[in-house]
Amino acid sequence: MILLATEDVLTIRDWVGIATDFVSENTIGMSRHWEYTDSVSNFLTEFIMCVMVFGGIMTTLLILLWMERKLLGRFMDRRGARTSLRSLWVGENGVTAGEWWNQLPFGTGVPVGMLNQFLNEVAGNDHELEAVSRVKNRSYHGVWWMLPGFFQNLADGMKFLTKEHMVPEKADRYVFEIAPFLIIATTVMCFTFIPLSPNFYSNNSEMSILFLMAIFSVAPLGVFFAGWSSNNKYTLLGGIRSAAQLTAYEIPLLVTVLSVVVLSGSFNLIEVIEFQADSGVWNIFLLPLGGVLFLVAMVAEVERIPFDMPEAEAELVEGWWTEYGGMRWGLMFASEYLRTYAACLLFAHFFLGGWEAPFEDTIPYIHYVPHILWVFLKAWFMFVFFVWFRAALHRVRTDQILEFGWRWLLPLSLVNLAMATALRLWVYDGINGEWPLLIPILITSISLALFILLSVDEDPEALEAQTRPFSVQTVDVASPGQHRE
Amino acid sequence: MGNEVNAKQILSAAEEIVSDVADFGDAVNAEVRYHTSGRRKNAYVYIEVTASQWRELALWLKKSKKVDYCSMITGIHWPENADATWQVVAHLLRTGVTNPAVVNKRVHETKVDIEGISGNEVPLEFEISMTIPETREPSVPSVADIWVGADWNEKETWDLVGIDFDGHVGMRRVLLPHDSPTGYHPLQKQHKLRYHDFNEMYDDAQGFGRKPEDSGRVK
Amino acid sequence: MAEMWISMGPQHPMTHGLWTLKVKIDGETVVDTEPDLGYIHRGVEKICEARDFTQITPYADRLCYASANTWSHAYIYAAEDLLEVEVPERAEYIRMVAVELQRIASHLMWLGAYCPDVGNLTGMVWCLREREMMMDLLQELGGSRMHYNFPRIGGVKRDLPIGFALRCRAKLKLFLDRIQEYEAILDESTIFLVRTQGVGYAKAEEMINHGVSGPNVRAAGHNYDVRWAHPYSIYDELDWEPSVERPSIKGSDCYDRYRVRVEEMRQSALMVLDGLDKMPGGADTHYQSGDPAILGKAPARAAEGQTGFHHFEDSRGESMFYLAGGGDERGKHPYRVSIRSPMFITIPYASKCMIGYKIADIPAIMGSFDPCIGETDR
Repeated sequence: MILLATEDVLTIRDWVGIATDFVSENTIGMSRHWEYTDSVSNFLTEFIMCVMVFGGIMTTLLILLWMERKLLGRFMDRRGARTSLRSLWVGENGVTAGEWWNQLPFGTGVPVGMLNQFLNEVAGNDHELEAVSRVKNRSYHGVWWMLPGFFQNLADGMKFLTKEHMVPEKADRYVFEIAPFLIIATTVMCFTFIPLSPNFYSNNSEMSILFLMAIFSVAPLGVFFAGWSSNNKYTLLGGIRSAAQLTAYEIPLLVTVLSVVVLSGSFNLIEVIEFQADSGVWNIFLLPLGGVLFLVAMVAEVERIPFDMPEAEAELVEGWWTEYGGMRWGLMFASEYLRTYAACLLFAHFFLGGWEAPFEDTIPYIHYVPHILWVFLKAWFMFVFFVWFRAALHRVRTDQILEFGWRWLLPLSLVNLAMATALRLWVYDGINGEWPLLIPILITSISLALFILLSVDEDPEALEAQTRPFSVQTVDVASPGQHRE
Repeated sequence: MGNEVNAKQILSAAEEIVSDVADFGDAVNAEVRYHTSGRRKNAYVYIEVTASQWRELALWLKKSKKVDYCSMITGIHWPENADATWQVVAHLLRTGVTNPAVVNKRVHETKVDIEGISGNEVPLEFEISMTIPETREPSVPSVADIWVGADWNEKETWDLVGIDFDGHVGMRRVLLPHDSPTGYHPLQKQHKLRYHDFNEMYDDAQGFGRKPEDSGRVK
Repeated sequence: MAEMWISMGPQHPMTHGLWTLKVKIDGETVVDTEPDLGYIHRGVEKICEARDFTQITPYADRLCYASANTWSHAYIYAAEDLLEVEVPERAEYIRMVAVELQRIASHLMWLGAYCPDVGNLTGMVWCLREREMMMDLLQELGGSRMHYNFPRIGGVKRDLPIGFALRCRAKLKLFLDRIQEYEAILDESTIFLVRTQGVGYAKAEEMINHGVSGPNVRAAGHNYDVRWAHPYSIYDELDWEPSVERPSIKGSDCYDRYRVRVEEMRQSALMVLDGLDKMPGGADTHYQSGDPAILGKAPARAAEGQTGFHHFEDSRGESMFYLAGGGDERGKHPYRVSIRSPMFITIPYASKCMIGYKIADIPAIMGSFDPCIGETDR
């Protein structure tokens, strides 16, 4: 049996529908209010689907948080408790932690030294190839060492429940208490519109993308409320910065989403995914610029490094949410990760084909892998990029962020929109057609070539004049962000 | 090889300064002294000057001898010595490098050909000492407008030692709390340390709760 | 938005120490600043008036806790001037090794604090990891990880431990490779360049007039290093270059100050490697503590009227101790100890440098001057 992209082995919604129908027929249907059978059954279905979607998201959020902790640790070459135990015997380049056992009196360190040698041979890094030793020592210590960190985030969440939440004396009490509600509620509402599978979604309205983006954009208002109402100059600064930044990045985000919608021809998220399935090419190969823009705009929207000025520890010490404690803060912190998760899922849906398996038409029997798994894998893969940016990049200054958003992202997103329109109008072969294979290949290769060219920009004269070990690209004041001439 | 300034260059520069200072006036005495550093003796210029001539000397040093860096201005309280109860010691340095050349809108690092420098280009250390006889309100002229580096040094000297600096704008407490009592300058010798060694400290049952008027008493 | 004063500190993750920086802002632009120091004023100068000369060394260590060896050596050279002591050559080499390793550790601490200031947490972890290597070496030399009490008047406390030269060479070679990684994450990152270039301009003559010295002034193109200008120790016998940066016509920015310190780390590492090769007696011989090869004879008293001072190239600039002899107990204690801290003079200047920039530039600028409040407040 060949399943279409819009079909799934796990037809969860149908099953839930069957169950609720059964329940409702046998309860309401038997009573004198029998005409409400269908509506009760529908209501129950919707309710159960909402709970299941939300439950699924919150549970897999734990995985996301776990990934972040472990990936950050690996990117930063920082070891956790269990792997740092290993560092006692494992060294690098023959340099160990120092043969501390030799300092023990009465020669009690000698057996320790022998154990060290043994462990080094068995689990250490004396591979012939130094590169392998370095890799073994630096980043990869094996998967099983990492698993114990999984429930840390659950413990963190429980900890937040036990903490006191205070309202500062001179703060505007009502606004202060409403702000977290705004942020959390709108963030959670986003997930009603994100389908996890063709048959596992909470809501499939006709213009789901529109409503989704609208709900997503209410959170900046909550952030500003939080920052302003705390009666704290620092949070005020943080709230203002946040409001400015999030507003500035909404527009490129919306224009990019619009370009995907134009390309796919519908405001409904499921139809966007179906379009990618039917036309045979994922949107990222047609709109690579759009993908990059969406990613950057989303990183700015969820206020992660490199765009986390509103919470910058260096100046603002947690920024707009400084005065919150307890679960209010915990929920806002969770909402940051929920928004990141929504961003990853949306990227997967808009650009990576949603729940479609890669090479779906060519690999036999791949249809039987549940689609929800593909969605999560793609989302988690995108999350790796989010964490990678956090580990490697610095914080951009607020006015530079704003300049970047308005001067660079907005024009590029308009260019992207133009490209999407051109592709849809002049290249696409009509409804249910397919993209000619040349087009995505051409677009992808040109984009890759441009990317490589642009990222390797060296100023040979500066290189000459400066004799610095690395080629420093900017000799003059770099743009964006010129403020003092 | 890291070249360094020659002891001979320093000595000749120091002697040059000393001889020039001799033309300055009676109230100023200069001599070349040596300070031991490890295994070498470097020459430096030691000048004694009166408080009234300090500014003139400072201006002359800055303008004609290119002494551009004020390292420290500090004060010492000698209560047993009635003629010179208060001493202000200023340490200045001549960094000795000329204005760097500007080429193509970039400042090239000053390429110092160390063997060839002489005269005003030789880095040199100065120690200038002035004393004030016993008085309740010691004061010397301020050189904060000549070297801005003297600004916070003078604040600290007044704060801790009590020597005021005439003409210094914005004198305030800088290391002690802002609301310290007026006239409280701890480095004056009448203020004694509470404990002289750790044994005294350990033996004091009251510890820091001890009030100053209880000193000497065993409680 | 109206102008308002915000107070950064005393508890603030950016300020690298315990002090307050009051900033007057107009929107996001800094209009005025006022530094407020003295929170950890411990009265070291007064305490030292009641201590023997050998007992003052630990106090000097604790002045700037991130850079303890440079401060204790600064004190020891001044004490040797006061007491007119000659130091054996091997001791000078060992001191140089200690001081330069400490300089590397101090700069790594600085870079490890500077990276999070501009937002990069990875740099912090990497730099502190390298600093652990340096601290291991310093622990072998001095006995503890932070405050070593290493030099003695006339020499050093003890000789290089057995095997130290081997470990030191291996670790420094590893470190020289690792510096390239820091440069990769910083120099090649457009965001870092955008954050630090064009920010915090400071001109050389202005800095010298303000009393700023050390890496801050060398970043402005001014080749002034106490190690060659007012020479001491055995730096002339080593193969090194003072690290001087070439800034633009507007002055040095944060990026130049960062580059100077990275180059200084490299130069210090090369200096130590060179010094180990050139050590009289060889780096692998080990003399017992108190041996005349590493410790010269030193008197314990200084009469009244004797004074000693020494300018020293500390990690943060030019530091100086001034000692006046003739204190209590017939000269066993100094009459006055006066400490010149480079940061005490640089912090007010750095606060002025911030005017006209944005709030977000404050950590970048302040961090690039490398404040350490221990030595500022004494």
